[in-house]
This record gives sequence, structure tokens and C-alpha cells, in this order.
Amino acid sequence: MPETDILTLQDVSVRFPRRPEAVLSDVSVRLAPGEQLIVFGASGSGKSTLLQTITGVIPHSVVASLGGSVRMGGTLSIETSVVELSRLVGVVAQDPASSVCLPDVEQELALPLENRGVDPALISARIDRALDAVQARMLRHRSTGQLSGGEGQRVALAATLIAEPAVLLLDEPTSMLDAAGLGAVRRAIRSAVDTYRPAVVLVEHRIDEFTGTAGIAGLPPRALVLGEAGTVIADGPTVDVLAQHGRSLNQNGCWLPLETELLAVTGCAGGLGEAGVRAGLRSLGEPAGALGRRQDFGRIVLTATDVVIDRGVGAPNGTATTVLAGVSLTLRGGEIVALLGGNGTGKTSLLLTLAGLHRPSVGTVTGARPGMIFQNAEHQFVEHTVRGEIRHGLPSLSDDELQAILHRHRLTHLADQSPYRLSGGEKRRLSVAAMLAHDRPVLLADEPTFGLDRRDTIATLAALGQAADAGRSILFSSHDLRTVATLADRVIVLADHTVIADGPVFEVLRWDEVLKQAGLELPTLIRHLLKEFDSDARIRRVLGQLDAAVGATT
Amino acid sequence: MTAQLIDIDAPPTRRPVSALARRNPTVKLALLFVVSLVLMFVFDPITPLVLYLLALGAVAVTARIPVKVFVLAHIPFLAFALGLLIVNALSRPGDVLWQSGVLRITTEGLLVGAALALRTLVIGVLSIGFVLSTDGVALMTSLHQHARLGSRLTYAVLAGYRMLEELPREWQTIRQAHAVRAPLRPHGKPPRGLRQYGRAAFALLVLSIRKGERMAQSLESRGLGLTPRSTWRRIPLTRTDWAMAAAVLTTLTVVVGLSSFLGFLEGFHALNT
Repeated sequence: MPETDILTLQDVSVRFPRRPEAVLSDVSVRLAPGEQLIVFGASGSGKSTLLQTITGVIPHSVVASLGGSVRMGGTLSIETSVVELSRLVGVVAQDPASSVCLPDVEQELALPLENRGVDPALISARIDRALDAVQARMLRHRSTGQLSGGEGQRVALAATLIAEPAVLLLDEPTSMLDAAGLGAVRRAIRSAVDTYRPAVVLVEHRIDEFTGTAGIAGLPPRALVLGEAGTVIADGPTVDVLAQHGRSLNQNGCWLPLETELLAVTGCAGGLGEAGVRAGLRSLGEPAGALGRRQDFGRIVLTATDVVIDRGVGAPNGTATTVLAGVSLTLRGGEIVALLGGNGTGKTSLLLTLAGLHRPSVGTVTGARPGMIFQNAEHQFVEHTVRGEIRHGLPSLSDDELQAILHRHRLTHLADQSPYRLSGGEKRRLSVAAMLAHDRPVLLADEPTFGLDRRDTIATLAALGQAADAGRSILFSSHDLRTVATLADRVIVLADHTVIADGPVFEVLRWDEVLKQAGLELPTLIRHLLKEFDSDARIRRVLGQLDAAVGATT
Repeated sequence: MTAQLIDIDAPPTRRPVSALARRNPTVKLALLFVVSLVLMFVFDPITPLVLYLLALGAVAVTARIPVKVFVLAHIPFLAFALGLLIVNALSRPGDVLWQSGVLRITTEGLLVGAALALRTLVIGVLSIGFVLSTDGVALMTSLHQHARLGSRLTYAVLAGYRMLEELPREWQTIRQAHAVRAPLRPHGKPPRGLRQYGRAAFALLVLSIRKGERMAQSLESRGLGLTPRSTWRRIPLTRTDWAMAAAVLTTLTVVVGLSSFLGFLEGFHALNT
């Protein structure tokens, strides 16, 4: 086997300057052509660093000390430039917006072939084939600036697969995809593996979405678990690794297949098909008591009446289009409302309008000034330290109050750091803390859990829940129905340019026609719980208990 | 993000249609450069006036620019030309044509001012024709192909072009995100001072630098910089392009020659009188 390995990592260690602990420690992995590996690990365990080490970005483009060796085919990464290594390795990076580089889709796909000196006469047909593989042929003549996040992600995958790299690295390739896009990406990766047999390394958060209905069998057959300081905790068949380490991975806040999560919590394997697992879940919901959130909410704090939202108003070419029309809604103190809808249905536009940041063309929004949390926390940062960020706009905030806020959101140890240097989860905590420091009766949040690991997701939901308990009204948009079922009291669904449903969360989630019209698909777990339990309080308790199994945060 | 605000049904852009748009971008740019260079040595008003009228006619016929756009695009050049005319007319020494208090206009000043103003308009009308008939992407590809611009630089500029397209949206989102926590002014609007713009600009800078880094990594991972490379869609360089170049250069030579023969042409010495 050794002579056929395409990728060999030997005792790889990575350290960044001014950080005492290693990010990767003595990682040794060998991959043969066609072999597929999934990497598990909590956030900060070095998954992205591992991928960067394979591409050669570490140590060539990022300042870090690299110990051990990375060998691809016959070349050592340390002796070869990133560009030369690209002959062998292809990457689908996390953020599609920055991995699609050229103005037109066609050029984007032609570039890797041109760079490799492919005969120009063959390029057009290969572009078609690569786009067909991700079911995105219709995007060929589009300019990349007009692509949605999900479309961009498919184009980025096509631009990587088109060069048929011997080693394929996938860093959360599905983060922005809807159900249809997920299927396309899954098939594209499988067919690439079948046809030219690249070695694959996958890092993925949305694991159940990635595998579709296949469960663990739909994952790469081999799994690697990275622990603290980037040490290899396990390396073996995915089924065995998850069975053995599922519990600790779950406690550490890794995203896991549902089956593994249920095994970790109930102690029974086999997923929802097994009686033992179902019984375990039932017992989690057992002492339901009065644990449901109260239903008697406070007074109305925000009212939207017959709102019409246009975009492009006043643009030089005068092409205003209506995003939403006839939107009327109210928010009450203490109530948590989720805003659902497919990509491009106007969730962000509605939140901006309710926040008073976008003027409705028709209709009115009344109520005290709301606060708003943006999807990308960095957009909100105005100051140079975490402390300053929380003080921003609040000149009268006392030091004690500041300390209390820092403590409540676990930011005390970061108080003097630059907001831009925080991790994804820390940035989210800061953006929530800084907004909540302002005493606004309504908090609007645009995809507040997007891109977070499980532990940070749970922490964010807890912060929003506490704000609601303190009497604030929360309206948050989300594409994750499990998050919605865990937190929301009420759901508003957008589709076809208007509100198509507005009601208690579990009533709306049981309403098949609405979900279908909005293009929403219930996760397997939620579908099961809705069938299994009549009592909303019990469903909520099961979800809460599952989240509680994730270890307390540090 | 605001990905959903994109109009996905917008028609594909950048379709070359006019005669001038079909010409090779590098050739057009080179001609613009040559004409500008020659004009630097011309200081009489007649020669650039003739060239301006010829250029105006040629661009109007070959570039198919809507009249309104054409006129609007002239405004900055007209304003600059007017400024040159006035400054020169009022400040150059020479025979006084008109005087009122401290203001006086000289013949020499008027002539040099008019020459410089008309020079601005010639370069202006050719630039308008060039910019409105040339696709930025085709220009870069053509420069790479025909002017030996390195592939790394070419594609870096193209990636920058894409980032530039997204900047307005990013800027708007940052301004909105900052407005949420800003203390309101008495009439209920968020503040719009220099300080606020500075903060938003800083955030935009940080985000853009990060994004630029990631894009650079992406371009490298796509193999940008490998040799030998091929070019898929060559920008054609045809006989018509050479014919256009010959026509423009001949016209330029004939006008300048005729102007010299008839005694209109003035060089640098016009400045010293």
C-alpha cells in the first residue's frame, strides 16, 4: 500500500507565532487514491489548519512553523510552491463568496484548465460537463456577482472538480445549499470519486443534510478525530470511530450524524428505527411538567401594517422590484418568533425594514427602536477592543455593568482583544452582548447561528432565550428547523412575496402544505418528535435535553 | 448576507454589439495613448478642434452610444476644459484683449487656453468611446494576450474587479449594521458624520483585505501561475483592427501635417510668447 499512497502526512505539527499551544500535533495520515476521509473535531481543534497544511498554504502563505512532512505523490509540500501543488490538490473553501474569483461563471471554470495548459478546443465541453455534474448548467452564462450563496457554492465545487485533482479537499461544501443543491453536490462528489478516484478529505457541519437519508453510510468510510491541540484521537472506519467516540464528540460540541448523537444520549445504536432509541427519547421528554414556555406574552411592542418592501428604489436604472407585499405582523414582549423562508424570499429585507434601516414603500412600522444582530457579526464591529465594542453608543454604562455584561457572555478574558481577532463563536457572542447592552424592547437577528459549531449555537440560543425571559421580544431568521423548534414560540413563514403562515411553532411545523409551499424540509428528528409527542412541552424538553448533553461551555 | 437581494433573472451583460466594441481592446487603448501623446506637443486651437470634430463623428458613428449618455459623459471633460480655458485666458501674459479691474484677458492666453481645452475634449471623446465600447474583462484578457501582461497580474485585476462590484452592497450592510447602535440625532435619524464614515470605511477595509487574501489563495489553488498555460477564448486581433489603427494614424498625420502646412500648428513655443 505505501507506494500507492497519494497523500502522506508524517508527524505533522503546526504552531502559530505568539500562541503557546500547537494547533496540530504529530498528525500522521496516509490516503490512497479513491480513499475518502471525514475529519471530526470541535471548533478550534485544527480541522481547517489540517486542510491548509495539505494545500501548502501552511507554511508558504501563512506564517507558521511546520514540523514533520506532507508528501503528495512524489513531492514534499515544504519544497514545492502552493501553485505547483495545485496540480495535485483541489480545494473547495468554506466561503463561496471569496472562492469564486472572476466576473463570469464561464471564465471561473475555464481558468483552472487554462492554467494547466489544456487544449482550448476541449475547454468548452469540459465546462459543460463540470456544471452538469453539480446540476448547474443554467448558470454557465451568468456573471458571478449575480449568484446566490448556494449557486456560488456549486460553481466553486465545479471549478475545483473540473481540474480532476488527485487530492480533493472539501471544507464545509454545503453550508449555503438548499435541499436540491445538497443532492446535486452529493452526487457530484460521488461521481468524481467513481470516475477518477481522487483521495477526499471532508470537513462538514451539516452532516445529516450532507448524507441525505443515507445516515452514517453516506459519509466517507474513514474518519479521523482531532482532539485538543490537534492530536489524532482516533483514525479508522467511520462507523467504529463514531460508535466509540460519539459520546465525547457530542459533549465537545461537534456536529454529528443524528444516529451518533442519539447513541451518545440514549446509549442505543441504530437511530430512530430502533425501539431502544425511541424509548430513550420518550424518557427524555418524561417529566414534562410545566416546562413549556409560558404563552401569556406581554404587550405588543412592534407592529407592521400592510408593509410593502421594494428594492432598488431610486437606482439609476429605475428597476425596483417588490420583495414582499401585504406584510402585517405584531411582536409581543417576552415572545420568541422565528422567521422562515427559502433563499431570496426577503427575510433579511423584512428584518432591515422592521429595524428602521430600510424604508417600506407602503405601510407603516410602529414601536420603539429595535436592536438588530447581523448575519456576519463583523459587519457590526465599530471599536478596536471587545470592551469598547460593548460600550459603543452607551456613554453612561458603568464599569460594574460592563463587567457584568462581559461575564454573562463569557467575554471577560477577551476584553482587550480586537473584535476581528476572535473566533466565529466569540464574535457572535460579542455581537449579541453589544446589542443586548442597549435596552431595546425588540431584538431582531438575521441567521444568528449561521456557521457556528454546536456548542456556540446552543450558547447563542440560550442568550436569546434569556433576553426573552427578561421581557424582550425576539424575531430571528433561520434555515435550521431544529433550532427553530428548540427556541421559537411562534413562526412566521415567507413565500411568494408575502407571509403565508403565522402561528404557534408546532402548529406551523405540522402544516405540510405551508412547509411545501415555502420549500422547507423537516429534519428527521423533528419529524419523528412531531409524530411521537402530542405535547409541545415534551418535544421542547427532548430537544432541550439533547442540547444539555453537550458539555457546559468553557 | 444580502445574497437574496440579487436579481437572478437579470440578462447576461457585456455583449459587444457596436462596430467599435468589436475592435481589439489593446489596439484601441494603444491608439488612445498615441493620439494623447501627439496632442501633448500641439498648442494651437485649430488642430485639436479639427481632431475633436473628426473623433466625435467617428465615435458617434461606430460606438452606438445613446445621445444622452454621450452628452452626460462629456460633462467632466467640458468642466475641466472650461477651467483650463479660463485660467489660461486670465493668467497668461500677452496682448490684452479685454480688461476690467484686476481681471484681464490676453489673446495668447485665450489661444493657449482654447488649445488645452480642445485637447482635453479630444482625449475625452476618445476615452468615452473607449470606456463605453470596451468590456473590462476583455481588455484585461487582451492585454495579457497582446501586450504580454503577466497572467498573475491580469487575473489579480479581474478578481479585484469582481470585489469592486460587491463593495457597494457590503458598504450598505456595514452602514446599516453600524446605524443600529448609533445614538439618534434629535429628529430620529442616525448620525452621518465623518467619524461614522471613517468607522464604516475601516470595517470595509478589514473585510476587503481578508477577502482579498482568501481570493488570492483561491486563485493559487486554481493553479494561477503554472506554466505553460493556454488561453481558451482568444480576443481576436484581425485585419480590421489593423485597418482601424492605420485609419486613425493616417488621419492624425494628415490633420497635423495639413495644419502645419497651412501655418496653424503651434508647438511648445506658443507658451513662451
